[in-house]
Amino acid sequence: MSRDLAERHDGILRRDFLKVVGVTGAGATIAGCSTQDVERLLPYVTAPEEITPGVATWYTTVCRGCAAECGMWVRTREGRAIKVEGNPTHPVSQGGLCGRGHATLQHLYNPDRFHGPMIREGDVFRQGTWDEAERLLAARLQRGRNPQNAVDGGSVLFIGGHTGPTMSRLIGEFVAALGGVRVDYDAVTDAPMLEAARIAYGVESVPRYDIGAARLLVSFGYDFVDSGASPVEHNKGLARMSGVNDESHAKGRFVFLGPRLSLTGLNADEWIPIRPGSEAAVALGIASAIATPDAAGPYANLLQAYSPAAAAEAAGVSEEAILALAERFRTEGPSLAMGPGAGAHHRNATAANLAVMILNHVAGNVGRTVFYEAGSSAVASRMGDLQGAIASMSAGDVGVVLVHGTNPAYSLPATAGFREAFAQVPFKVSFASAMDETAALADLILPDQHFLEAWGDSAPRPGVMAIQQPVMSPVSLFDSKHSGDVMLAVMRLAVPATPPAAATFYEYLRTAHAATDDAAWRQALRTGSVGATEASTTAPALRAPDRALSFDLPTFDGSGDLTLVVHPSSRFGGGEFSNSPWMQELPDPVSKIVWHSWAEIHPTAAAARGLVNGDIVTLSSPHGAVEVPVWLYPGIREDAIALAMGAGHTSMGRYADGHGVNALDLLPGTAEQPSGAMVTVATTVTLEPTGRRMRHATVDGSAGDQHDRPIAPAVQLSLLGAEAEAAEEEHGELMELQAGGGFIPVPAEDGSPASFPLPGARYGEYANAHEGPRWAMAIDLDKCTGCSACVTACQAENNVPWTGEDQVRMGRDMAWIRIERYYEHVDATQASDLDIRFLPMLCQHCNNAPCEPVCPVFATYHTPEGVNAQIYNRCVGTRYCANNCPYKVRVFNWYRYTDAVPEPLNWQWNPDVTVRDNGVMEKCSFCMQRIREAENRAALEDQRPVRDGEIVPACEQSCPAEAIVFGNIRDPNARVTQVVASERTYRVLDAIINTQPAVNYLRKVTFHEVAAGEH
Amino acid sequence: MKKNWLIGGLAGVLALAGVAFVQGGGAEGEAEGGGVQPIAFPHNLHAGSEEGQANMNCQFCHFSAERSVDAGIPPVSTCWGCHQVIPGRNAPEEVLKIEEHMESGEPIPWVRIYKISDHAHFPHMRHIAAGLQCQQCHGEVQTMGVLTERDPVWGGANMGWCIDCHRQPNEQGVQQASTDCAVCHY
Repeated sequence: MSRDLAERHDGILRRDFLKVVGVTGAGATIAGCSTQDVERLLPYVTAPEEITPGVATWYTTVCRGCAAECGMWVRTREGRAIKVEGNPTHPVSQGGLCGRGHATLQHLYNPDRFHGPMIREGDVFRQGTWDEAERLLAARLQRGRNPQNAVDGGSVLFIGGHTGPTMSRLIGEFVAALGGVRVDYDAVTDAPMLEAARIAYGVESVPRYDIGAARLLVSFGYDFVDSGASPVEHNKGLARMSGVNDESHAKGRFVFLGPRLSLTGLNADEWIPIRPGSEAAVALGIASAIATPDAAGPYANLLQAYSPAAAAEAAGVSEEAILALAERFRTEGPSLAMGPGAGAHHRNATAANLAVMILNHVAGNVGRTVFYEAGSSAVASRMGDLQGAIASMSAGDVGVVLVHGTNPAYSLPATAGFREAFAQVPFKVSFASAMDETAALADLILPDQHFLEAWGDSAPRPGVMAIQQPVMSPVSLFDSKHSGDVMLAVMRLAVPATPPAAATFYEYLRTAHAATDDAAWRQALRTGSVGATEASTTAPALRAPDRALSFDLPTFDGSGDLTLVVHPSSRFGGGEFSNSPWMQELPDPVSKIVWHSWAEIHPTAAAARGLVNGDIVTLSSPHGAVEVPVWLYPGIREDAIALAMGAGHTSMGRYADGHGVNALDLLPGTAEQPSGAMVTVATTVTLEPTGRRMRHATVDGSAGDQHDRPIAPAVQLSLLGAEAEAAEEEHGELMELQAGGGFIPVPAEDGSPASFPLPGARYGEYANAHEGPRWAMAIDLDKCTGCSACVTACQAENNVPWTGEDQVRMGRDMAWIRIERYYEHVDATQASDLDIRFLPMLCQHCNNAPCEPVCPVFATYHTPEGVNAQIYNRCVGTRYCANNCPYKVRVFNWYRYTDAVPEPLNWQWNPDVTVRDNGVMEKCSFCMQRIREAENRAALEDQRPVRDGEIVPACEQSCPAEAIVFGNIRDPNARVTQVVASERTYRVLDAIINTQPAVNYLRKVTFHEVAAGEH
Repeated sequence: MKKNWLIGGLAGVLALAGVAFVQGGGAEGEAEGGGVQPIAFPHNLHAGSEEGQANMNCQFCHFSAERSVDAGIPPVSTCWGCHQVIPGRNAPEEVLKIEEHMESGEPIPWVRIYKISDHAHFPHMRHIAAGLQCQQCHGEVQTMGVLTERDPVWGGANMGWCIDCHRQPNEQGVQQASTDCAVCHY
């Protein structure tokens, strides 16, 4: 993108432009005010009752970004969805939304969506009509059903991804009516966890975890914040568990076991870097230390066979570490252990999950922190089932194959042979709404509607039902049709003898919920869900295994010296979100890299191979090879190397194709037994330098080092509540600067944030600065998990553009909020305390702001309400303010980045926020438009004051961890005032440079002593 | 080569624009920039209080002015609500166009007359709530026929027009509305 922009803007040199303007200057000045293009105002023909122009209309619905099915609020303006938010009343997600949830909006407005049904003619697709497409499919299905048919032969095969319960039932009826076979497949699943629950308790459902109720959380490679069964709910649980209570000083402990620190792992208090595949041995070793074998019922013999020593041996860590963790299980309950997830599916992953369940059982956690309930709709699909389907496609037994909601041509290892087998089927149908690797091979594409345009339902948990309602008319550029409606139409055509009862999918859905009367239905549409979640506190008995399982270390293919860890991406999932520029330009929460792939390798392992950051290497496994730059990461074992899923698309769209490599190319095409899950940690690789090097496109300016600056300080738990010693640390380099006359602070010992700006502040003397509200923010770093949902939420709310890989390399990323990530202590060689600091950095709205006095045109100044404002129409682009900002939160529009946003992605823009032009500086505004909206509402309602909590900035609304609070710090009863009263409160760099920020942070709390030199 | 084209073109456009301005406003019935209102809607006949004029409240059609940032352009159905029984005395052929739009389902492509810059936010409802009359900003629209050009005050006005009013003292003698930049610019 940047190259295009550069060319376009280089078309006229600045000097030539000035010459032209000089010649015609007089004309331009006169004409400037009156000459404009004719602008049209198009009113409705008949106005929808619920729409008032200029006023947002909100709808509840269900997020279909992943199988977690979080509750969603959608803000629409003039009939267009412009922002999605978490629904706080949803019983499962309870507010908050992850970054991927936000990115579903870019699927809705994806410029690469199909404009109508596509029919293959030779090598190309032709756009057809729905009538034509449905007749074509019906005719082929009728032929496909006849096994004697000499031309097509074979039967009907349906490959589906995760969908709502009623849609799933319709698919079942559709497939049954056609005498076909149905297989479900999603790339990222918890199938081993599901299978282990079935073996252990006879429950066909992944366990439900109440993380918030635990005091000791132990994850055996389950990346529940990155991906997993319910990322928002689990993220919230983690924050509630590990966030310290400022009154009782209670704080839960989180221990992560695994070869690589995922985003989830980075939040742990302790890391035990166990060898890949040793989870079962460790879990059983701990179980054997804390309980008698009898406690494990039918698994008593298994428990007898394991010991902490054996666990230590298998895991490659010290026995003391295992014993210490076992001791914590005894003393720090209630505990909760979580089994390996999709980033740790090795060949014995089911056994490992079963071992973790046994550990939970003997620790008494079942019914307290972990619950086994049947009927959850969590992902149950298995690659193993698909392998059978691949075999029948290869054998020519399939006449028609239909693919809905999944993309196996991308999300299966190449060696699984899907592409080849799929190509052999005479008639291939895809329901993809935009091109993907599977649709590219199809003969007929029936583009489905986006979930924000369509009806549906969800059952995220037993007893909970939430309705997915359309929030807008289908995007008019795309002639899409609900797959349910297509299936009903095709059934009427293909099996006219027994037509379906329902005419439309909505009718089908409403009939399925016939027990819900109209009043209750409307109520459910308003609130978003029906029913609540009641956990069963009964602890079922363990059942004897019904099949043989190996709890030993699994085998790994090849003889390479590095074990390959392939994990779902917290940005792309299994690759479904790769065509979203928001996700591409969201810095990965771990590596902070954007747009391209990287391989994580430990600095010691890299040094031994003579590698530095950015060296491009060839990774070869027995199954394939990829070329990828290495990224040195202290959070991975020295004998492992990690790649994220989701990159390396070939035909998914303009933002996905050609970015990065597909990690699955290195994996075997076999499934884990007995769960049938795709194995992600199953092979070794050899590493061969190519001799080439590239610069990462990264926003990680200081490579994880605070460089002696107290940016994200921490405090030891045992020191909380103790007499705060005001010994201000001496910050070497900065003290030198101060001695030289720089950074002279105003003494501010007794200054409270509510009284900013303090007397003596040089800048900040504004009219009525000590009257009215003073907006401020508090961010609890002990809760922040670094998930980066706020970053995308901000981008969506504030029309923040993306700039592309090359621009980011030049430091031109535009995010108004970023998550800084600092390593304070991380050791990949032994079990030890882990100390990683996350810090959301946004404009600090300094009350003594360095940016303000240097602006020659007063484009940035302080409002009487305490906001550091940026007035775009005043800004002339000197960039002095950015130079003088100690927080690097000001970003400059080097180009008109929004010009590169194609229709209809720009339909998403927030009409309440100015779209910035080139040459203009911008930054966080504290969501000024939301402040104004609340003020306007309050003013119209009898001039009442704005209530606390009425203004919720996009970052706070989105935060699953509930770490951000915004409000009027002059109001003693405001939540922000109460949070800021914590003894942990500090303001970044304020003690040194006296900026008096309006953003207050609460220190992270560690169990270990915060060492000298660390902050 | 391409570059020179662009420069020449730019110079030409600017020069022509200057000439157009010097030659004065648009001809009768033409909005500035050459746009002609698709229907010759006479504001005076609807909102005027003279003999034979309907004396309608502005907000009867511009329905959201008191509750939204946007005043609202009436949907075609609002016009049709009256005009399906009122054929129009002076220009029945213009009224017939409403019926055509109702039947075709096509919106009426009005030429925009009042426009505030994208970087300024003007909440109509706050100004209505403050007791302002529409005419204070929009001019005496109830006396105008087909709106063809910007009204004399607003048309050439810049931010000073807003600020002058914001700075006026209220009954208590203090400035009646904020002059903080970020009240409107964000």
